[in-house]
Amino acid sequence: MAGALTRVIQGSKSHLGIVGPLVNINNGSVRYQQTKTKFGPLADSDRIFTNLYGRHDWRLKGALKRGDWYKTKEILLKGTDWIVNELKTSGLRGRGGAGFPTGMKWSFMNKPSDGRPKYLVVNADEGEPGTCKDREIMRHDPHKLIEGCLIAGRAMGAQAAYIYIRGEFYNEASNLQVAIAEAYQAGLIGRNACGSGYDFDVFVHRGAGAYICGEETALIESIEGKQGKPRLKPPFPADVGLFGCPTTVNNVETIAVSPTICRRGGSWFASFGRPRNSGTKLFNISGHVNTPCTVEEEMSIPLKELIERHAGGVTGGWDNLLAIIPGGSSTPLIPKDVCSTVMMDFDALVAAQTSLGTAAIIVMDRSTDIVKAIARLIMFYKHESCGQCTPCREGVSWMNKIIYRFVEGNASPKEIDMLWEISKQIEGHTICALGDGAAWPVQGLIRHFRPELERRMAQHAAAHGPSRAERLY
Amino acid sequence: MAAKETVKTICRNARPVMSSDLTEARRRALGLYRAFYRYIPYIIKYFDIPKNEQDCRCKLREYFYKHACVTDVRVIDILVIKGYMELKEVTHLWQQKGHVMSHWNPSAEPKPCDFLGKFLAGMD
Amino acid sequence: MLRQPLTRALALSSPARAAPLAVRRYAEIAPQPDKVEVFIDDKPVYVPPGTTVLQAAAQVGVEIPRFCYHERLAVAGNCRMCLVEVEKSPKPVAACAMPVMKGMRVKTNSDLTRKAREGVMEFLLVNHPLDCPICDQGGECDLQDQSMAFGSDKSRFTDIHFSGKRAVEDKDVGPLIKTIMTRCIHCTRCIRFASEVAGVDDLGTTGRGTDMQVGTYVEKMFLSELSGNIIDLCPVGALTSKPYSFAARPWETRRIDSVDVLDPLGSNIVVSTRTNEVLRILPRTNEEINEEWLSDKSRFACDGLKRQRLVTPLMADSRGNLTPVDWEDAVVAAARALRDCPPDKLLAVAGDMADAESLVALKDLLNRLGSENACTEQYFPLEGAGIDLRSTYLLNTGIANVEDADFVLLIGTNVRFEAPLLNTRIRKAFIHKDTDVALIGPKVDLTYDYVHVGESASIVKDLASGTSAHEVLRKLEQAKRPVVILGADQLKTQEGAALLAYTQELALRLQDKLEDKNWKVLNVLQRTASQVAALDIGYKPGVGALLSAGPQVVYLLGADSGVVTRESLPKDAVVIYQGHHGDAGAAIADVVLPGAAYTEKRATYVNAEGRAQQTLPAVTPPGQAREDWKIIRAISEVVGVRLPYDNLDEVRDRLSQISPALVTYGDVQNNNYFAQARALAQSLQKPVSGNLDVKLKTLEDYFMTDAISRASPTMAKCVQAVLKQKQSTY
Repeated sequence: MAGALTRVIQGSKSHLGIVGPLVNINNGSVRYQQTKTKFGPLADSDRIFTNLYGRHDWRLKGALKRGDWYKTKEILLKGTDWIVNELKTSGLRGRGGAGFPTGMKWSFMNKPSDGRPKYLVVNADEGEPGTCKDREIMRHDPHKLIEGCLIAGRAMGAQAAYIYIRGEFYNEASNLQVAIAEAYQAGLIGRNACGSGYDFDVFVHRGAGAYICGEETALIESIEGKQGKPRLKPPFPADVGLFGCPTTVNNVETIAVSPTICRRGGSWFASFGRPRNSGTKLFNISGHVNTPCTVEEEMSIPLKELIERHAGGVTGGWDNLLAIIPGGSSTPLIPKDVCSTVMMDFDALVAAQTSLGTAAIIVMDRSTDIVKAIARLIMFYKHESCGQCTPCREGVSWMNKIIYRFVEGNASPKEIDMLWEISKQIEGHTICALGDGAAWPVQGLIRHFRPELERRMAQHAAAHGPSRAERLY
Repeated sequence: MAAKETVKTICRNARPVMSSDLTEARRRALGLYRAFYRYIPYIIKYFDIPKNEQDCRCKLREYFYKHACVTDVRVIDILVIKGYMELKEVTHLWQQKGHVMSHWNPSAEPKPCDFLGKFLAGMD
Repeated sequence: MLRQPLTRALALSSPARAAPLAVRRYAEIAPQPDKVEVFIDDKPVYVPPGTTVLQAAAQVGVEIPRFCYHERLAVAGNCRMCLVEVEKSPKPVAACAMPVMKGMRVKTNSDLTRKAREGVMEFLLVNHPLDCPICDQGGECDLQDQSMAFGSDKSRFTDIHFSGKRAVEDKDVGPLIKTIMTRCIHCTRCIRFASEVAGVDDLGTTGRGTDMQVGTYVEKMFLSELSGNIIDLCPVGALTSKPYSFAARPWETRRIDSVDVLDPLGSNIVVSTRTNEVLRILPRTNEEINEEWLSDKSRFACDGLKRQRLVTPLMADSRGNLTPVDWEDAVVAAARALRDCPPDKLLAVAGDMADAESLVALKDLLNRLGSENACTEQYFPLEGAGIDLRSTYLLNTGIANVEDADFVLLIGTNVRFEAPLLNTRIRKAFIHKDTDVALIGPKVDLTYDYVHVGESASIVKDLASGTSAHEVLRKLEQAKRPVVILGADQLKTQEGAALLAYTQELALRLQDKLEDKNWKVLNVLQRTASQVAALDIGYKPGVGALLSAGPQVVYLLGADSGVVTRESLPKDAVVIYQGHHGDAGAAIADVVLPGAAYTEKRATYVNAEGRAQQTLPAVTPPGQAREDWKIIRAISEVVGVRLPYDNLDEVRDRLSQISPALVTYGDVQNNNYFAQARALAQSLQKPVSGNLDVKLKTLEDYFMTDAISRASPTMAKCVQAVLKQKQSTY
């Protein structure tokens, strides 16, 4: 079965899962039938993150009370294959945005060793606008993460975990460091972690505030002390990663849910959500809602229900909704009519020409200047582009110039198609996915709000005469 | 190839410059020679050059022998035409003393041909 | 890299690059793994696994455009120009970085590929100033060429009417490189060259995204002896040559292939000339010597060829001032002096840049006059094997083979400045093969880490006898391909002979133990371009004894290094100087005969590894200057002992009589008789006690070392700039 799986993976090379729907992947060893029709709300007993809001003690004592570090030794002793299989059964897909099946990713690390150490790197550089799930885990449930590191590390035979934490997360890093110290003192990690005979270290590395360092290879470069610029792939980090050794980079949430999956069983986790999109997920709801919040919910919950139930609804009622960015700033927006029906999971959002991303829902009501909002996102990407490869460096800043003119309407309607083409020229031509992430919001805007753009241009032309941009046409 | 040759021949035969065959060309050349030969005394007289008739005749013969090997009728004709042009320039005194004297090229120095001579002259 | 059309560059990179590697005897012969079949535009090609798509495409003659990729630098993959479509891949892949996979089908001319290229080209041009008319790169610009071939035919950069293009402040990186950073396309070739090949981490990027800038992080000079190469590497006009700025367009110049003589390696060069003037010198690819690099002195000292030149014969008048005379007078005066001189009082000294033809002519002249006193300025011990065995004074390993070495021991040499391109080979070995380097001599910066064994000459003795306790001895003995390089400067001293003897002993002791019987360990790094040819012809190295004998007539053949001075000569001695620059030699001369510099004559030079190469005349000698061998030939005739050659071919016949190696251009003869040399040197192993010292310690020492570079204003500026940089806090 494992052999068959590898073959499947090599057959479909879309490691960055956002690019296309992962239709070919038979996720895990159990094939699910679609039996559930209603998703969410999640029962309290099924929540993984039980201290998401920091109402309880985040330190070791409180964590133990909530069930963390319970029978970790037994899990570790069950061995690599069992953990990886459990993860495969659970159908957990990476929570960092690309949605690559985690069990499979971990199994890449179990190639015969060539003497090099292996590393687990935890991506806690949560910089995507709208996303604020990892910080909640790190400041309120750091022990989940540390235990996850240990289990994930065991599953891939890693020597140490590096947690690369965003520089701005001062308190989170502080809490995490305290938690690590507690874990070391309690013998949970370090030499002979949890008494399992397995040595495992956890290091915290604080970034310096670059969004691009959230890209896995740039993150590795940054830990190595270099400029945070993405590396070329191949070789993938699983071959040549941190310090030239096999490395797996996982999101905080992915790692933090893995102990619970191991304790409660993969099939428990898989019972939530639709097949291939299983599990529970932290959703961040921000923007024009009555009560912005971060909430753990079942996957595949309808977007409308999620907002109404947990965020108190859109300000001014559902009819006041203009558009929603469903997965953090790099995903294309969806207009109201799509929002009403779409389910929050990987496949449903891909079908809606957007993506789950980090599940950071940005709600925009009718008071929003949608063009300006997207322009502001592009400016963010322009500022955060590392400047290494041409399409991203030159293209994003050019898009930024154009779209700010679109805000005023000082542009030619023909430039809308041009902007679309430019975004297509960036997408897929860059070393990392930042270029894609910058291109998609623009594409979403043009796809759904083209009349709005044209209206502004007509208005501007009526007031000021034809735009200077017309000269080239 | 053969076809090409034929075309060439036809062209050559089709457009004679003046003479239709070698005999005629020869006659013209001799005419030119005679004309020059007869004018030599006047050249010496009008141009006042430090040469006698014998020198001039030698020079004239030298020029004609220079082209003795030419057999192409058209080329001979052209040379004859150029010769008449030269003659006309001389008879009309369009040429001056220097022009005439330049046939003997009195200011030319012999080029060195030994190594040292070439070296001192800066020639390769 | 010579700016050549892409097709030629590619042609060079495939078969021509493979050929020299195949010739290289010492290259690792890895077991040939099975080749992988890939399809480039449906053409099947078999390549070893690990080959990139771009290399595989080059093998079938398909050119993939590129900016950042350079075959001698690490792959960066950031320009994205080389994107190609690969079947079953959703996105186009970067051909320069993508290793081939079995059965891969690459489409280099599909719509997707063309669209991707056009897109990248558009992005590159968005912020590239269209100042080609005033750009020095115009005509040899990769961006220009490739935008013609792969770009779009129209612009849609509407923002030119609004915010315009990016402008970047220019950097000051010294007197050699002019930067116009607005033109930079961030390919990072220069950065990679600096850190990988030059070993100077001065260049890097600052800023992010569209604000990213290439430069030295702080305002400082790019302190490298190889800095000029980044001009060639730069695919656009961001880095251009400062001395050459606004001088000429590439299509106006004539290019003549030639050989450099300013260091002992004989790097291959192309001399660009216009209207009988050397405008610039570029490297020419030769895998065996300089790859495609060139050191700064060789590249930029060419403006010294226009200054301080001797353009007319000169003779000292009654008051001792040199006054212009005719060639005839000068030659007669020189000949008279030679004729009237008793043979044992006659001395000829050959300098740094004398070519083999003039060397042989001068020696023949002296011999015919009954004298044997032809010598070179550089010393080499005559005891033991002396110069009878060629292997004792050559770089036997070969320049290219040094990069296969696994241990390099440098004795009394600062390779970095004595032979910069040999140093890049050692650095290459250091980086890619984990070669260890050890140095005996003063501690200098070689651009890589090395074990500093000490400065004392006695260390060599201990190593040779195997009594040293230093770890270097153990490493040397364990090495499979050790290389020992002895700086020729060390042989000048009293202990030179003993030092050479010990080095021979050490090297041959190591060589005997090697499995690879073809591997040569012993190397002597000469300091000048003329020395090897002079020794081959039979010149006596060094003037010491001959000078103290009080010569009556001294014939200096370009001898400018100040070994012969007026003070060291008898009062009435006549000094005849033949050479191209008014330098130390001409200053003390009674008769000055103006010769031709290396760009002005067809002449033979033998490099440090014993490879004969010839220069070709790029321009004519200035004024009344003449080719050197001809001057000697002319004098010989006036003296009355006519040399039996009147043209170059006859001189070369004479050269081949002396040694066929002198005229087998481009080849290195295999050297042997190491054991005999070692046996002859046994008696010379006397105790040594002195310290080894090198002349060129830091960068400012490097630039002005010979008559041409001393006359070069650019080199003078370099020295000033380096000294100024030393004052700086950075």
